[in-house]
Amino acid sequence: MTDSHLTRRTLLRYGAYGAGAAALAGTAASWDRLTGADIPGRDDGSLVVATLGPAYGPEAIRTLTEGFKQVHPDIKLRINAVQAVDWSDFFAKILTQIAAGTAPDLVYVATEGVQLFAQRLGVPLDRWVKRDAEELREYFADVHPSLVESMMYEGSLYQLPVEFNAADMYLNTQVLKRAGADFPAADWTRDDFTALLRDMKQSSGSQFTPYFWTNRLWGGVVPWLFANDTNLLTESKAPGGTWLWDSFYPADRRQGRGGGFRWTTPQATDARVEEAYDYLASLIQEGLCTRPEGGNGQNLIGVFSTGRVGVTPAGGFWAGGLHLAGMKADGFDVQYFPRWRSQRMQYGAAGYALLRTSKKQEEAWEFIKYAARRDTLTRLFTTNQTTPARRSMLTADRYRESGPAHWQVFYDTLDKFPDTGPIPAPPQVAEVEQVLLKHTGTALASRRAVAPALRRMQSDLEKAMERDV
Amino acid sequence: MTNTQIPAVRLKQPAAPPAAPPRPSARDRGTRLLATLFLAPTIVGIVVFTVVPIAGSVVLSLFHWNVIDDPSFAGAANYGEVFGDSTVLVSFRNTLVFMVFAVALQLLIALALALAVNGRMPVWLRSVFRSAFFFPLVLSAASISVVMKYLFNQDFGMVNWLLGLVGIAPVPWLTSENAAMATVILVYVWQQFGFSFLLFVGGLNNIPKEIHEAASLDGATGLRKHLNITLPLLSPTLLVASVVGIINALQVFEQPYVLTNGGPGDATRTVVMVIYESAFEQLRFGEASAVGVLLFVLIMAVTALQFRLSRRFVHYQ
Repeated sequence: MTDSHLTRRTLLRYGAYGAGAAALAGTAASWDRLTGADIPGRDDGSLVVATLGPAYGPEAIRTLTEGFKQVHPDIKLRINAVQAVDWSDFFAKILTQIAAGTAPDLVYVATEGVQLFAQRLGVPLDRWVKRDAEELREYFADVHPSLVESMMYEGSLYQLPVEFNAADMYLNTQVLKRAGADFPAADWTRDDFTALLRDMKQSSGSQFTPYFWTNRLWGGVVPWLFANDTNLLTESKAPGGTWLWDSFYPADRRQGRGGGFRWTTPQATDARVEEAYDYLASLIQEGLCTRPEGGNGQNLIGVFSTGRVGVTPAGGFWAGGLHLAGMKADGFDVQYFPRWRSQRMQYGAAGYALLRTSKKQEEAWEFIKYAARRDTLTRLFTTNQTTPARRSMLTADRYRESGPAHWQVFYDTLDKFPDTGPIPAPPQVAEVEQVLLKHTGTALASRRAVAPALRRMQSDLEKAMERDV
Repeated sequence: MTNTQIPAVRLKQPAAPPAAPPRPSARDRGTRLLATLFLAPTIVGIVVFTVVPIAGSVVLSLFHWNVIDDPSFAGAANYGEVFGDSTVLVSFRNTLVFMVFAVALQLLIALALALAVNGRMPVWLRSVFRSAFFFPLVLSAASISVVMKYLFNQDFGMVNWLLGLVGIAPVPWLTSENAAMATVILVYVWQQFGFSFLLFVGGLNNIPKEIHEAASLDGATGLRKHLNITLPLLSPTLLVASVVGIINALQVFEQPYVLTNGGPGDATRTVVMVIYESAFEQLRFGEASAVGVLLFVLIMAVTALQFRLSRRFVHYQ
């Protein structure tokens, strides 16, 4: 045992340290939680709008801010372009900002996040829409009711859609010519599609894969489920919404509309779901299509424009993408997704959601209206990097330089097939998407793997849907 | 009279008061203050960026929190969820498999190349090799993985194209359950072995040449010299390289996330991927923290085991 010599002076010194530490801890504990907003200079009184970074470059941000300033010089606007690889990543970053106490006032939200934001974070726009009904009449007349319905949740409207993308089929015209095939008819069937892939394969080398697809919620397996008249989750409509339909849409266009979509019971083991997976597995087995993990959007433009892929599902956004990649307007064309049991197609839409935490809700509503104006969207969507939600903006002039020849397909997917609907995106969408991607990978390993993988998918989807977000 | 011996009473000598520690001189006090000041940024950094987040994770693992609502106390419920979740258990298995193969391969390749580079060769060539082997380490793991994803693409990748030139059928590098993990390990090892390589080169240079010369005089051959001299004397470096390698491998994220996104199925899903997905995609921060705490315990246990074993296998000169 060592004999310690604790002098009175030392004792007093350590006592003072202890008291100081206790005082600091007590002070810290008694303070309110500090957030990012407490950092001096962080909140400059601007209306903050969070957008998906890759879709909103500096030019787009300048267009939005300068245009808005002209209309509302009294409202200071700041666009916060959040860099993210996809919508899931984008929402994760927005939620992190909210957790840090630096929530934006408005968030650009796609179908994937509409219900999550509506349920937990969003403010219904109903009272403002009713108040400014006259001003908005022109907008609703120009936008398909399905797009508007996809932005509703349990009877209330949460966003005004400004863009959408339906999964149509892009075809490489050089590959078509090489295969000696004609451009498919609008009512082509799944069998026509399969025959075309075989023709393409026969006329091309070993480094060619006719059908390329990406394993994701939008544009992956889901369009095939829709074509086979089924879905991953049972789909129904919430009651309500008549306040909007009766105000803005004629009787023939509001028929069957409700208060927004509901996706509830998982049905991965449904016979038609299994049939769709079995079909894709057979295409892979025959060498007519890429495996799910093999496809991703990053290298798609390269392999499509160089003729190593013949067909791929994509939306209006790809017209601009292919044009920017140097593909000529006549190098590709677009047709509807092929018919199976139905020709229902899938889409995703996007618009601005107003957050409950915002203290500038009136200003935010002014921005929402401004962002949905035709002149704003015309200035913003100059390069066909998406499909505008306003029908009147889809003109021959818009697609003259970039193509495709059948550009009408983009909006006719809604107008000619009114049952075309949004991808299934309940509030639990993140986990649903993860389960879908994971089990799609194993389901398509072989045709025998389909049924067991779908059973596991069903089990995981049930767990995901039981969980509260 | 009996001669009785009176036991000598050894009187306890009064203990001399312990010498009071010499009062530090003004110069010593100044040196201590200076040392404290130099250490302070590091200590503050460790406390703020390591100790506090670890403590925060432990606390958060006892709560349900989805960012949007206030946290609610959950006790050990998150740990119960974690142990009942097959994805989490598979991710731990995958991570351990990854660690064993990746670290073993990394150390073997690094050691072999370090021995080769340390052999007879022109100085400039040695410098070229050292730089070339270290270079991948300075690149971002995410960008390397993106490039590798292109190269190993089953349908359009250059690797399969080259194999096709010699008549080998396309290999499902990233799309088969067995091949995907092997490919992720290969990509990881390719990028990471440069660190161990540099450590080994430094360690080899520290082994006195006289020992090798003496062994040669005694008739030891090349392999025998490596086994009986080089490896034992390099064992402290091997310990450092394996400890760092194992800690890094247990935290692998970028390569499987970019190359396979954890697939096919869960074949390449790692623990850190599960933490990321639970927290930032599914908003289950409590469960994510519980998995993080378990990973922390695993890393501590493996590292402690390594140091314990090192007493038997590591030789210090």
